Amino acid sequence: MDTKELWNNILPEIESSVSKANFATWFKDTKISGFEDGVVYLSVPNTFVQEWLLKKFHQLILKLLRQSSESIHRLEYVIKEESKQKNQYIPTKTCSPTRELPLSEHYINKDDNLNPRYTFESFVVGPFNELAHAAAQAVIKNLGVAYNPFFIYGNTGHGKTHLIQAIGNAVKAVDPSKKIFYLTSEKFQNDFVSSMLANNINQFKDKYRKYDMLIMDDIQFLSGKEKTQEELFHLFNTMKDSNKHIVFSSDKHPNFITGLEDRLKSRFAAGMVIDIPAPDHESRVAIIKSKCSSINLFLDDEIIDYLADSIKGNIRDLEGVINLIVCQTETKNKTLILNEVKDLVKNSIKQKKLLSYKEVVKIISDFYKISEEIIYEKTRKKEVIKPRQVIMYILREDFCISYPSIGEKLGGRDHTTVIHSCEKIKKDIQVDELLSKEIREIRSMIG
Amino acid sequence: MKLECNKNKIESAIQKTARLANKHLTLPVLACVYLDATTSNKLIIKATNLDIGLEVEVKIKTIESGVVAVPANVLLGVLSSIKDDNLVIETKDNNLKITANKNSVVIKCLPHEDFPTIPRLENLKSIKIKSNDLILGFKSVWYSASNSNIKPELSSVYIYKNDSSLVFVSTDSFRLAEKKINTKVPDDFPQTLIPYKNVIEIIKLFEDYKDEIEVIFDKNQMAFKVDDMYLVSRLIDGSFPDYKQIIPKTYNTAATVLKNDLINSIKTSNIFSDALNKIKLKVDVKNKTLNIESKNNDVGESQEYISANTSGENVELNFNSKYINDCMQSISSDSLVLDFGGVGKPLAISGATDKSFLYIVMPMNR
Repeated sequence: MDTKELWNNILPEIESSVSKANFATWFKDTKISGFEDGVVYLSVPNTFVQEWLLKKFHQLILKLLRQSSESIHRLEYVIKEESKQKNQYIPTKTCSPTRELPLSEHYINKDDNLNPRYTFESFVVGPFNELAHAAAQAVIKNLGVAYNPFFIYGNTGHGKTHLIQAIGNAVKAVDPSKKIFYLTSEKFQNDFVSSMLANNINQFKDKYRKYDMLIMDDIQFLSGKEKTQEELFHLFNTMKDSNKHIVFSSDKHPNFITGLEDRLKSRFAAGMVIDIPAPDHESRVAIIKSKCSSINLFLDDEIIDYLADSIKGNIRDLEGVINLIVCQTETKNKTLILNEVKDLVKNSIKQKKLLSYKEVVKIISDFYKISEEIIYEKTRKKEVIKPRQVIMYILREDFCISYPSIGEKLGGRDHTTVIHSCEKIKKDIQVDELLSKEIREIRSMIG
Repeated sequence: MKLECNKNKIESAIQKTARLANKHLTLPVLACVYLDATTSNKLIIKATNLDIGLEVEVKIKTIESGVVAVPANVLLGVLSSIKDDNLVIETKDNNLKITANKNSVVIKCLPHEDFPTIPRLENLKSIKIKSNDLILGFKSVWYSASNSNIKPELSSVYIYKNDSSLVFVSTDSFRLAEKKINTKVPDDFPQTLIPYKNVIEIIKLFEDYKDEIEVIFDKNQMAFKVDDMYLVSRLIDGSFPDYKQIIPKTYNTAATVLKNDLINSIKTSNIFSDALNKIKLKVDVKNKTLNIESKNNDVGESQEYISANTSGENVELNFNSKYINDCMQSISSDSLVLDFGGVGKPLAISGATDKSFLYIVMPMNR
């Protein structure tokens, strides 16, 4: 149902049945903000309007609503300040002779550390993140029960932070009494260390245990911090036992975070572990469009398509380019054409990294924690064979190097050995879940 | 409606409420005060500007119950001209008739049905706070709020609880005032943003009240309640900027001066300052002085020297004198400390002994 049209149809009818003064005072700035299960949510600017509509016009509005749709059986009021949202993106022009205090633009709520800008309304759902989005909705509906812990992973700029903060903001919107806290793993560690130094570790424990929902970002930075991990482990158990929700994000699957204790890994895996991969083309288009509309920028479909095509993966890069376009549009005072955009974008598109085979070998041997040199040696130890085969496979598949030259580069091996290795890995990926995950991890590192 | 009342009592109640009864473009009845005499021997006087709602109770003798909406400025004008102590107020075909010993007036009224309901916050979380504490907190900071509508968060006074104190903050992004009040409030005191215009009304209304005020919280509004007064204000839905990070931790220069010396010097400098209220503060560490200079091509120029206890390096910065003068009323100690961060960095002002108040002001460009 188009709520905007519905309200626009009803307003004239109300106007004809109430006095002009009444209409202008009470129905200005009202609109239908939502419709769900037969309940219409009418957004009003303040409590005075709410009280007045409830007292004087409730029956009238409900009657008119029901006339246009039988399915409506209730009317509720929500208070929403419109002016604020309208003004959100007006840049403050400083013509004042006094300098401005360097107040940050990001208004963060002290109690929960959440940035109110990260909401589901501004979250673009596409095929790449719909699973994560659906799981997040389930978390909000069944707090503490469904998917606890909720673990999101994906590369930088894929929207992890936005998603997990949106969960926090949504839970807060449903039930403001819930205590939610968002923090990065680095903040957690700093807090832990400073409480240890100040000798009030119990205060630290109490502080985190009182929350109904804890959202921890970038958990991979805890890698190797054993004491902090232990504390997190205890905190985790307490919270999980009392049905309090925990949400984590990381850039890797927990099993691939090196230096993370196994007991934590297994606990992370017990909940829901979801990957946010790179957005697909259509999603990138949708993201660009939503960004543009939020800052009132008009872009040609052709340009949007070009941007979505040329900037792959990182949403932050997309935002950066859009900001660049806004800036250019403002200085030139006209809409940009495709060629101008191309010029702008040229510098910001990341050149695909050109890696030498040596670098590939280094990355993969580091990944498997073996020394680089051993790959080139003749040894047939089990722990070396697999990484070596993976290297051959990657070099062949991703870098299209010929079999003989791969063999030659990896310590003078015969090209049939290389063919065998590649075939073996190819076959194993089909059946071996772990291996295929490892390959994905390696590919994301090679970029 | 018919009632008998004491003129002074009712006049003071009307004075309080009439401040809110202003002309409204679409709803004329908002220029009225609403007299509600439906409860026996009690008259409730209401007024609202749709941003703030106020009810004041007066003890009277009810003869006949009823309600009426009467233009506030007319009623106030009439009451101030009547010299007698006892009045009889009654309604007569949509008019309000006031009879005293030697006067009798009839005021035209507006349809009282149009008068908005003032939201009553009841059965909600509430706390008691000493009126003095609350008003001191508000008074110390409200003038720093921004009077533009672009960012409602900055046009508000921000209140939150920190350890054992209640913290009041406001900023217009050029200066910032923070006042900590040591008072007992429960731990779950919510972070609150009250529009500064409403804060002015709250100060005016409760300034002379000495007892505890009951503060009631709701999601979008907040009420202040004492025996005979009830005020409800809209709250701003938003977050105050994380201002703690802009409070400088280190300073290059510190100067301690007597408050009265500084106020007097600024007064003199103001005569010669230009349209931008520009004054130059100069700390001379060697001679232990704070110099204040101002210059106006049409009027002349002034130089003032205040003896100061100084440390750090020499510094020279321009400020808007109004911004500096504003905070003087909030500092209770007789000497104050000016901490300069250097060129382009904020200046922090606080009392030499009383550290509950902190004021930060940015210098002028160039």
